[in-house]
Amino acid sequence: MDFYFGLAQTVGIHTLLGLSAYIVLLTGQVSLAQAAFFAIGAYSAGMLTVLAGWHVVPALGVGSMLGAVTACAVGFPALRVKGLMLVVATLAFGEGVRLFFFNFDYQVAKGGIRVGPLGGEGFRQIRFFQEHGWTTGEVMLFIWVFVIAVMALLWWFDRSRYGAVLRSVGEDEVAAQSVGINLTAVKLSAMTVGGAIAGAGGGLYAHYTTHIEHANFNVLLATFAIAYPIVGGLRTVFGTLAAVIFVQAFLVEGLRFLGDWRNLLFGALIILAMNLRPHGLFGRHGA
Amino acid sequence: MLELKALSRYFGGVRALDGLDLTVNEGEIVGLIGPNGSGKSTTVNLIAGLLPLTAGEIVFRKQPLRDVPVHRRLQLGIARTFQNIRLFGQLSVWQNLWVAQNSPEDRSRRGFFSRWLGGQTRGREEIAQLLEFSALGHKQNELAANLSFGEQRRLELARALAARPKLLLLDEPAAGMNAEEIGQLRQRIVDLRAKGITIVLIEHVMELVMGVADRIAVLNFGQKIAEGTPAQVQSDPAVKKAYLGGS
Amino acid sequence: MLDFLQTLSDGVLFGATYALIGIGFTLVFGVMHKINMAYAAASVGGAYAGLLVLKAVAVVPAWMVFLGAFLAGGMLGWLVYVTCFHFIPLSSPLAPLMSTVGMLLLIDEVIVHLTAGMPQNYPAMFDDVMLRFGEFTLRGDLLLVFGISVLAMIGLLALLYRSRLGLATRAVAQQPIAAQLCGIRVTRVNALTFVIAGLLGGLAGALIGASVGALSPLLTTPLTVKGLVVTVIGGLGSIPGAIVAGLLVGGFENLFQQFRGVTERDMYVMLLLFAFLVFRPGGLFPAKS
Repeated sequence: MDFYFGLAQTVGIHTLLGLSAYIVLLTGQVSLAQAAFFAIGAYSAGMLTVLAGWHVVPALGVGSMLGAVTACAVGFPALRVKGLMLVVATLAFGEGVRLFFFNFDYQVAKGGIRVGPLGGEGFRQIRFFQEHGWTTGEVMLFIWVFVIAVMALLWWFDRSRYGAVLRSVGEDEVAAQSVGINLTAVKLSAMTVGGAIAGAGGGLYAHYTTHIEHANFNVLLATFAIAYPIVGGLRTVFGTLAAVIFVQAFLVEGLRFLGDWRNLLFGALIILAMNLRPHGLFGRHGA
Repeated sequence: MLELKALSRYFGGVRALDGLDLTVNEGEIVGLIGPNGSGKSTTVNLIAGLLPLTAGEIVFRKQPLRDVPVHRRLQLGIARTFQNIRLFGQLSVWQNLWVAQNSPEDRSRRGFFSRWLGGQTRGREEIAQLLEFSALGHKQNELAANLSFGEQRRLELARALAARPKLLLLDEPAAGMNAEEIGQLRQRIVDLRAKGITIVLIEHVMELVMGVADRIAVLNFGQKIAEGTPAQVQSDPAVKKAYLGGS
Repeated sequence: MLDFLQTLSDGVLFGATYALIGIGFTLVFGVMHKINMAYAAASVGGAYAGLLVLKAVAVVPAWMVFLGAFLAGGMLGWLVYVTCFHFIPLSSPLAPLMSTVGMLLLIDEVIVHLTAGMPQNYPAMFDDVMLRFGEFTLRGDLLLVFGISVLAMIGLLALLYRSRLGLATRAVAQQPIAAQLCGIRVTRVNALTFVIAGLLGGLAGALIGASVGALSPLLTTPLTVKGLVVTVIGGLGSIPGAIVAGLLVGGFENLFQQFRGVTERDMYVMLLLFAFLVFRPGGLFPAKS
C-alpha cells in the first residue's frame, strides 16, 4: 500500500510542476524555468522547517511566494523577447539557478550536527514529516489537497474571463492587443501564478524526498514540467494530470526494469506522442 | 476627432505612406480607397498603433498618439477590424466578445467591488445585445473557428464594437462578400453611425464605399491624390487614371 | 595586462567552436523558424561517433576522426529532422519543439550510457606547437581549431550565397509558400538544412574535444545552453551574429573563468545573456522587421 501512496505522492508533485507550466503555456509562452521556481520553493521551504523550526504549511506559503516573486522578476526582462527566445532565456535562467544552488552553503548547528544546504552535496535531513509522525498516507493526502486546490483554481480560471484572456493572448497577440488586452500584464500574471504553483510544489517535493540537491532541478526536470501540459494538451487541466499519470505510472514504474535507460524511453515517448498527436492527448479545442 | 498630419511610414527605402494629411470629424464616415500597395492598410496599422510611424503626427481627440501602446489606444476609443479575419478561433463566440470588453467603463465595472454589484450582469447584457445586432445569438457557444465566413466577419465587427469605440477602423470588411451580404453590411455601418460612432472605411468594393461614405480620400503610392464627396472623387481624372479605370 | 590578453585570445580562438554551434541553431531557426533543441546534443553525439573510427582502426590521424565526426553529425542532423520535423505539421508550434527536447534527452542518454559517464580522450592536432611572441603564446591546436572553424564558416557562406541550394534555402527562409509555388521542394531544403547544420555541429563537437583534449558526456546541457545564448546574443537567424557572438562568449567565458573560477563562470555567461535580453533583445544583428 505504501508503494501506491508513494506513487500517488510523485504524481501529485509532478502534477503541480506541470500545472505551473500549463498556465504559462496558455499565454503561448514556453517556459523552461519552472524547475528553477520549483527549486527555489524547495530550498526555501526546507530551510524554514529545518533551520528555523517552522511548521510546514507556512514554510510552503513562503516557498510559494518566493517562487511567485522570482517568476515576476524574471518575467519582466524575459517577456520582452519573442516567444522562442523566451525558451532560451528561461533555459539559461534555470541553469543559472541550478548553478547557484550548486554553490550555495548555509549551515547551522542544530543539536550537535550541522544541517542545511551544502553546495554540491545538497540539503539533507529535511525531515519535518518524519519528525512529526506523519504516515505515508497522510503525506499523500496533504500533497493532494494542494493539487486539488490548484486544479480547482485553474479550472475556475478557465471558466472565467481571465482564462479566456490568457488563451486569447496565446492564440493571437496582435488581435489581443487590438482589442485592448495588455499583453505584458497578462503574460506576467501567468508567469507569477506559475511561479507560485511551482514554489509550493517544490516545497512539498523537498519534504517528501527529504534530500534535495542541485542536480534534481536540471534541464530534465524543466522538460518534464512543460512535457506534461504539452503532451496532455492545453484544452483542460485534466490533460496535464492525465499526462503525469501516463508518464509516471506507466513509464517510470511499469518499465522500471529498464533501469537507467528510462530517460531514453521518456525521450522516445515524447517524440512518438508529438508525431502522433501534435496537439496533445486531449487536443486543443477549448471552450 | 482624428487628425493625421504629414503621416509617413518608411520601410527602408520603401515609402509605404508619404506625408498623408487627413481629418476625420466626429460622426463622419470617411472612406479610404486606392490600388493595392497604396498605403491603406499601413494607415490603419499606424492609427491602431501596430506600426510605429516614421514621421508626422496622429492626434486623436486632441491627444497625440505617438507613444501610446496598442492596447491603450483601444481604451482611448479606437477599435479596428482586420482584413484577414483575426478571431480567437479556439474561443467561443461569446468569449471572443467577452475578452474584448476593455473600454474604461467595462474595466471599472470589473473593479473589486462593483463586480459584485451587478457589474457582471450588465456586461452580459451588452454581449447579448451585440450578438443580436450581429445575428449571432444562436451561435454564442460555438467556437469561432467553426463559423461560416460571413458569420466570422460579423463576429469580427461585433468584437470591435465590444469595446465601445468612438472611432472604428474597418479594414476591407466587404472582402469576399456577395451582394446580399454587402447590403447587410452597409445597413450595419449606417446603424453604427446612427449610434454616434465615427468610421474610417478602407475598401475596394466601390458600391459599398461610394454608397455609405460622407467623404473619400484616395491614396496612390503612399500619397493622397484626391479627396472629396463620392461624386467628386468619382469624376476626378487623377483618380480615374490611377484606380477606377479611366479614359 | 598580458594575462588578460592571453586569456582573451585563447578564449576567442576557442569561441570559434561556439560560433559553429550558434550557426547551427540560427540556421535552422532562419529557415524553419523553429529551434532545434537537440542540436548541441547531436553535435556531441557526432563527435563521439567520430571516435568510433578510432575504435575500428587503432591508429588514425586526428583529421580522420574529425571527418568521422563531421559526417556523423550530418547523419544525426538528418535523423533529428525526420523524427521531429518531417511528419509534424508546422502549424502546431509546440510539437516540434517538444519533439526536439525528446531527442535531446534520448541522445544525451545514449551518450552517457555508451561512455559509462566517463570522458573520452580526444585526439588533437598540433597540440605541441606553440607560437610565441615574447610572453604571449598562441597555441597551435587552438589556432587550428580556429582555422578549421573559419574554413567551415566560409564554406557555409559560399554555399548559401553562391549555390543554387543556398539560393533555394534563402528563398524558403523568407517566403516558404512562395518558394514552394516556384517549384522549390521545401521539404528537401529543410532536410538539407538540418544535414548541413549537423555537419557543422559534428565538426564543432570534434574541435571542442580536440582543444580540451577530452570529450565529456556531460557536455550536452552546458553546450546547448551556451549555443542558444550565442544564437540569441547574435540575433536569431543571423549567421554573422552567431559568429561574432560565439567569439565574444568564448572570450568572456575564459575571462570569467580566469578571474572567478570555473564554478561561477557559467553563471556569468547567463548574466551576459540577461544583459542582452534587457538592453538589446534583438541581439547584435537584429532581424529587420
